[in-house]
Amino acid sequence: MSESIGPTIRHASSAGSRPLLELRDLDTDIALRRGTVHALDGVSLEVAPGQTLGIVGESGSGKTMTALSIMGLLPSGGRVAGGQILFEGRDLRSLPPDEVRRIRGVRMGMVFQDPLTSLNPTMRIGAQVAEPLRVHERVGRAEARERAVEILRRVGMPRPERIVDSYPHELSGGMRQRVAIAMALVCSPSLLIADEPTTALDVTTQRQILELIDDLREEFGMAVILVTHDLGVIAGRADRVAVMYAGRVVETAATEQLFQAPRHRYTEALMRALPESAIRDSGGHDRLVSIPGLPPDLSGPLTGCRFAARCSFVSDDCRTTDPSLTPGAHQHACLHPVPTPAVAVTGPVPAQVEPAAVPAQVQPAAVQPAAKPATTAPAEVAELPVLSVRNLVKNYPVHGRGLLRRTAGQVSAVADVSFEVRPGETFGLVGESGCGKSTVGRLSVGLERPSAGQIVLDGTDLTDLTGRERRRMHRQVQLMFQDSYAAMNPRMRVDAILAEPLEIQKVGDNSERQARIATLLDQVGLSRRALERYPHEFSGGQLQRIGLARSLALHPRLIVGDEPVSALDVSIQAQVLNLMRDLQHELGLAYIFISHDLSVVDYMADRIGVMYLGKLVEIGPAREVVRAARHPYTQALVDAVPSITPDRAATRDGTTIRGELPSALDPPTGCRFRTRCPRAADICTTEPPLVGGLHQVACHLPLRPEPTGTPTPVQALG
Amino acid sequence: MARYLITRLGQALIVVVLVTVIAFLILHLLPGGAARATLGKEATLEQLAAFNHEMGYDRPLIQQYGMYVQRLLQGDLGYSYQLNQSVLEAIEQRLPKTMVLSLLSTLLAVVLAIPLGVLQAVRRNRWPDYAITALSLLAYATPIFFLGLMMIIVFSQVWPILPPEAPQGFTVAEVLADPAGLVLPTATLAIVTIAVYARYVRSSMIDNLNENYVRTARSKGLSERRVVLRHTLRNGLFPVITLLGMYLPALFSGALVVESLFNFPGMGQLFWQAALKRDFPILLGVTVIISIATVVGALIADLLYATVDPRVRLRGSAT
Repeated sequence: MSESIGPTIRHASSAGSRPLLELRDLDTDIALRRGTVHALDGVSLEVAPGQTLGIVGESGSGKTMTALSIMGLLPSGGRVAGGQILFEGRDLRSLPPDEVRRIRGVRMGMVFQDPLTSLNPTMRIGAQVAEPLRVHERVGRAEARERAVEILRRVGMPRPERIVDSYPHELSGGMRQRVAIAMALVCSPSLLIADEPTTALDVTTQRQILELIDDLREEFGMAVILVTHDLGVIAGRADRVAVMYAGRVVETAATEQLFQAPRHRYTEALMRALPESAIRDSGGHDRLVSIPGLPPDLSGPLTGCRFAARCSFVSDDCRTTDPSLTPGAHQHACLHPVPTPAVAVTGPVPAQVEPAAVPAQVQPAAVQPAAKPATTAPAEVAELPVLSVRNLVKNYPVHGRGLLRRTAGQVSAVADVSFEVRPGETFGLVGESGCGKSTVGRLSVGLERPSAGQIVLDGTDLTDLTGRERRRMHRQVQLMFQDSYAAMNPRMRVDAILAEPLEIQKVGDNSERQARIATLLDQVGLSRRALERYPHEFSGGQLQRIGLARSLALHPRLIVGDEPVSALDVSIQAQVLNLMRDLQHELGLAYIFISHDLSVVDYMADRIGVMYLGKLVEIGPAREVVRAARHPYTQALVDAVPSITPDRAATRDGTTIRGELPSALDPPTGCRFRTRCPRAADICTTEPPLVGGLHQVACHLPLRPEPTGTPTPVQALG
Repeated sequence: MARYLITRLGQALIVVVLVTVIAFLILHLLPGGAARATLGKEATLEQLAAFNHEMGYDRPLIQQYGMYVQRLLQGDLGYSYQLNQSVLEAIEQRLPKTMVLSLLSTLLAVVLAIPLGVLQAVRRNRWPDYAITALSLLAYATPIFFLGLMMIIVFSQVWPILPPEAPQGFTVAEVLADPAGLVLPTATLAIVTIAVYARYVRSSMIDNLNENYVRTARSKGLSERRVVLRHTLRNGLFPVITLLGMYLPALFSGALVVESLFNFPGMGQLFWQAALKRDFPILLGVTVIISIATVVGALIADLLYATVDPRVRLRGSAT
């Protein structure tokens, strides 16, 4: 460890210098009660000093296990069964445990996914950040504190000299992740492993954290392994990418090369399953390419290509021959790879897709066009909205101290929100955590009563109705949850789960109910055998299908989906999104699609409403809101969404918002966004009304005027 | 903080008042009555009536309760004719001795149970865990009177190294002067408690060792010892605080079985004999003391939480 790794070695070519970290044929097993899972099988990877390696894959692909194997932090029952982990030329597997521990503490650092649980709740921030210094470098208490303040300042923590004495629960998620990064960097490691460092964070915070990691990499001259399920996050940040599937690396290449010309069929399919790949500027979106089935069970013996069962280019040899990575800079393990662009000009077999030179433009022949382009369903003025929400307000009281528990204040969760949902339409509601979008969803289905305002369902104001009438009306509106497993009684079989809404509303007799349930299963694409099973026996995607079936049971006209695909892997997400769109066209459903993920909402919605801190700040046709945002906050959201398309990834210098979300207990007066808005002016202390024609914005200084053709009483861009 | 305390003490007062009402009612609904119990079988009806009149037992219950509360507020818990001493005096004599026994056994239990539980969690599903689990279950499943009898048989009959009887001294100092006599009752009480506490510590430590923050601590390259002692132990001991809070009333009420078995003149024995003899003033007095201890125990546990766990904020609305 005599040589020092300076920032000058950045971007060193892998041919010239020795890799900082090299994995050779790594096998990792995890012993569970039901057998041994072979989580990693022959994983070989390299990271050069100063380089960022992105490891991308879906859940169960082994990406996190790779990171934990390197760090020696495998869960109980886990062990590295074979291969080598060469760090700075030495195999960590053959070094004494104490030596490995020192290397782990000083030369490596790791940032984990969930900042809310990754810090010790009963230890002060300063003590936690400085602990590696105290232990490994025997630094004194005062100096350790000083260095903790210093590194906290470096990761962009405001008032670090006060934060060192705080406890984790006093900080927001983004701030806790900064603490975790500071903790990983305090000994100036040469390798930082970030395992889904931003998955639990909002997009605007995600952007801040990713930029911070980038800056620090340059400053510290360290190598970074960025583990994520999000192709977009990798595309903008990594030098090289390794794609993992079912415990193996299936493809690895320089980032640009991989995203422009993926070779492995899995990589290709994964990219095309992203909603952004199917979004057309015309507004009529392509059907998403979903990957059928589920990844294989890694506890049994596997022969052949592990993706074979789900691959549309599969042939017999795929099932028998175990493909190994091809040599060279762009390695892939596929027997029928996507042809390289040069070969492609000669014309591929019709069944095969043309090379995805630009993955966002998939050949239309290979995909079924959407059943009906979204914007061709024009708002017929005569048609009554299914749901009309007028001046909706929801405040949650906060109780004060003392015997009487006087109401000390209130959290303004939803403040004067109005919108309409027309029959057969998808209304997307986006915003970051705490913006009130889920509360709007719960109010719309009647799970909670509004503090003020009207919820008009089919011409009837729900807030006036009594309990029984309300319940009857609510057949028309159903809810679909993010975590369907948590939303189902684990001790009820699927048949009982699906029959329950019918029983509660006293619909039909037993045989009619059974018939209805069978129809529902067909509609969501599950087999009848599902009826006799319990929720825990299903995968996440299947559970979402059951959840959808349950919400369809009463023939609703509107389904409110609260983050319905946020917990799913990309390939499964595509299946569920396709299903939701198919059913919409078949049954004429309207959706309120609530999500933090702008690209999913962009794909699904006809119109989008953007919420910030309880307020609807912008509302309009989906493509206009996303491509011609008028509110600075919407623009910041759009800019923060990571994308796999290089040109979109490049234009990152749009609106960036800094700072933290203000408390909804005491929201800013006037425009609630003004405390973080780069364009804020004096006028913003007065509340901006939501004005405009079809594309409305609540901003005194909108980024652009409403497109011509609609009357715009809004003041134009100065 | 002060506000929180006032609120909680107010709640405590309500609880104590309710307990006295209920205890008062139940005791007075019992057949037989105090007069017969005090004066004996030979007493005539006139004598009984005179006694009841003198004690106020012939007045309406509400009035009796009012008088009781009035005396209570002056620190007068009543007078026991059967013991021929005031209730306060009877309790004053026994309470310190009971506390010696309870404190000693609790201390012993905590000191042994925490390391045992931690060891089990760290060596989870290996032989130390299995061995301690088996012993814990055995200790927990054994009725305490049987355990006490076995202790006496083994350690003072078969292998006579310890006296079979607890110290009979009148004061705490005299009790402490006979440490050998305290060993068996303390141990008997402690063994069951150890089993319970160790079980709680084990499961709480296992939960905490699986937490993400422990993984973070390991990623800093800390030794396993430091991970367990510095990071996990404090969070793992929270359930013990609850247990201790719940145990406080037992500190005052004494251990009925063990005190009887080892003939230890403590609160448990006092209560037991009063119950047999329908000694109402004693029963009521002890009940009041225990109810106060229960409420205060819960309060102390909450206060301890607030000092140990920075996430807990004491607010007036907490319950």
